Amino acid sequence: MTTNLAEPNKRARFVPGQPDMWVFVLFETLVFAAYFSFYLFYRARSPELFLHSQAQLDLRIGVFNTLILLLSSWSVARCVQSSRVGAYRAAMRDVFITAAFAAVFLFFKVFEWVRLVRTGNGLDSSEFFSYYFFLTGIHFIHLLIGFIVLGVIVYQLRSPARRSQQLVETCATYWHTVDFLWVLIFAMLYVVR
Amino acid sequence: MKFNKRLLVVWLILASLTLAYLWIDHSANGSLRSSAIVTSSVIVIALIKVRIIFREFMEVRQAPVLLCRLTDAWVVLIAVALLGSYFIGTAIR
Repeated sequence: MTTNLAEPNKRARFVPGQPDMWVFVLFETLVFAAYFSFYLFYRARSPELFLHSQAQLDLRIGVFNTLILLLSSWSVARCVQSSRVGAYRAAMRDVFITAAFAAVFLFFKVFEWVRLVRTGNGLDSSEFFSYYFFLTGIHFIHLLIGFIVLGVIVYQLRSPARRSQQLVETCATYWHTVDFLWVLIFAMLYVVR
Repeated sequence: MKFNKRLLVVWLILASLTLAYLWIDHSANGSLRSSAIVTSSVIVIALIKVRIIFREFMEVRQAPVLLCRLTDAWVVLIAVALLGSYFIGTAIR
């Protein structure tokens, strides 16, 4: 028997998750866009200062962490699709894979912070590092909240009585937001000249 | 559940765009100089990645047209804000 559930691509257009989460996503993106705009404006006014501080960052760690977060986004996207077709065991596995990638990201972020602080680059050592610690710190908090959000997915999937596809999609939407905000932060801090 | 190849391809594209930064950085290497070309390409690549994440991972591709338009408008808005701030900052240096 072929049902709509088996062919999610063919079903009617739908908003993934709760619309409220999308309002939050768009609002949050605007707030970050404002931070980035201030950063780029001041950076463009005194490029030498920013370039000198930026040279202390290791681009390879940034690239590695970006790939890791993109992997986590991919796995949470798989989780949504699995749960949509009723493959809850696979969906649950994907949530844990997502959390594992997030843990790797956090580990390398903390590793980088420690390395920078040890070499004398603190929150107030330069304008660039004020932005660096502020943006990566705020993102770090978003990621920690992301762990709670992943916990909500696990809680939802664990019991047949609680399973709500809409809530799983809502949580996944939050997770992807944490991912694409990092994509922007990474570009701003590590590669922009 | 059947393995979704589309998501794999999406990740590979996003990963390639990320690795392109290594190439960009290598091209501009050693030079501690600001570069409007590097900055503009980096911002455009980042926003292409954001749009791909919106459409593919966040399933906006299958969402009502309003959400498609809204997310696209956001990408354009961010592009204007970021490039605008950078170039205004450069101009009044």
